[in-house]
Amino acid sequence: MLFNSIDFLLFFTVFFSCYWLSVNNIKLQNIILLIGSYVFYSFTDWRFLLLLISISAFNYFLALKIEKANKYKSLLMYIGLAQGLGILAFFKYFNFFITSLNDIFYSVNINCNLKILNILIPLGISFFTFRTISYVLDVYNENIKATKDWIVFFNYISFFPSILSGPIDKVNLLVPQIETKRSFNYNDATDGMRQILWGLFKKIVIADNCSIFVNDTFDNFSQHSGSTLLLGAFFFSIQLYADFSGYSDMAIGFSRLIGFKITKNFNFPFFSQNIAEFWRKWHISLTSWLTEYVFSPLNFKFRHLGKRGIIFAILINFILCGIWHGANWTYVIFGFIHGCAFIPLIINNKLNRKEKKESIHSFLTFKKLINMISIFTFVTFTFIFFRSDNITNALLFLSNIFSDTFFLIPETPSFWIFLLVAIFSLFEWYGRQGDYVLDSILTTCNKALRWTAYLFFVVLILYYAGAEKTFLYFQF
Amino acid sequence: MEKKDIIIKIKEILVSILEHENFEMVDELEAKNVDGWDSLSHMLIITEIEKRFSIQFKLKELNKLNNLGSLLNLINSKIVSK
Repeated sequence: MLFNSIDFLLFFTVFFSCYWLSVNNIKLQNIILLIGSYVFYSFTDWRFLLLLISISAFNYFLALKIEKANKYKSLLMYIGLAQGLGILAFFKYFNFFITSLNDIFYSVNINCNLKILNILIPLGISFFTFRTISYVLDVYNENIKATKDWIVFFNYISFFPSILSGPIDKVNLLVPQIETKRSFNYNDATDGMRQILWGLFKKIVIADNCSIFVNDTFDNFSQHSGSTLLLGAFFFSIQLYADFSGYSDMAIGFSRLIGFKITKNFNFPFFSQNIAEFWRKWHISLTSWLTEYVFSPLNFKFRHLGKRGIIFAILINFILCGIWHGANWTYVIFGFIHGCAFIPLIINNKLNRKEKKESIHSFLTFKKLINMISIFTFVTFTFIFFRSDNITNALLFLSNIFSDTFFLIPETPSFWIFLLVAIFSLFEWYGRQGDYVLDSILTTCNKALRWTAYLFFVVLILYYAGAEKTFLYFQF
Repeated sequence: MEKKDIIIKIKEILVSILEHENFEMVDELEAKNVDGWDSLSHMLIITEIEKRFSIQFKLKELNKLNNLGSLLNLINSKIVSK
């Protein structure tokens, strides 16, 4: 069920009413939340619901065992880890592994033709599995207590606003909120609705409009000039950002409507000054998860190697970050390139340089503008691997960009799409100091202007709302 | 080894890695408030502490550190149990 669908609107209206009618009974409210999450999740395929419930139950009991265990504590933790990674490996990577093996054998003239399986990937598996893995590890490391209330824990795993595409919330953020009585807060609700409005604008008006031009350039790249392909690649960066951050805005907005505050997932990444800053601002919940559970342990393990150790840890971290997105060598290359981009920062001690909070009116220097454009261009080139079906196509796409047709006047999307992207970029720039764009821009202006802006966005959303288009990150 | 000796050695390590002295060696000192003390320099600092005091940390122990005071206590407990 998509946030931008009539089905969801009907579902959420019924859910919202039942949920807030039970405000005085936290147990009942949590049961309604769980039922709502399961209804939402099973809309795609009810069989996946059984998997979700089984995984939740397994990890619930396992964590309780880990907490009490003395002798076999590590063994139980490894069982939990194996379950999480095993499920991911089977559903997401099994066929990739088999086809890669076939390719390797074929390259040495052995035709073993191992059969791939017809596997459907459960929606959101990468997101809810990362929740269970971090939960088991945190209980094992005694960072948190295992949750005794199964309804609370099952809600944490299946929380519907974020189950399909994140953010990947940590236990210590979400579980205390599920355990505590929530009351309806008008300001939170209006704030949530503003963020949903901005999310819908990003998805329906920006991402879906960019997708038409992007799909054409990537699907028929041999028929376009180099300049058109470059423009198509830039538009894909905008599409991906608007699509995924738009989803995250909606997830945060719907959470606020039901009294929850979940992890901020994007913080204007395309205004970053270097690649480390970009990753601190892009898909924040995944970056934080990987930093805590992959980079930090590896960095600790390799600490005696000095900066070389940090480089190894970063490379492994980013290759895994790439693979997390899907079973394709294009994602491996994507992650590897990003890992390599950190090397100069590590060598020059600029990995985590503290950023000074700027005033909204601060002057954009030429150097900062060049850094921003450089990061946007670099990320756009890496997204060519992200978007292409295979490495050959990605390399062909790249070589076609730099062909002799590079200097031809490019085919472009319509003027209106350029104008919409320009409006979007201006709002992003002037709203970059807030939690989300409309928060910092509209809450400070007068009522008439604020409602004119709401109307403007609503009209645009309704005008462009046609066939529902799925979110790009659903495939992960 | 007395606490003040541990503090002197740690200050030497911090100054050599962070390349400045703009911090006060008080128990409440937190990495986030010290210029240049980030995840990159943190691991270099930890490795240097291990070398100077001939001790070994566990990741679990490091994850529980929240300020200079807790780091001093951890180092002290490691030295005592050597």
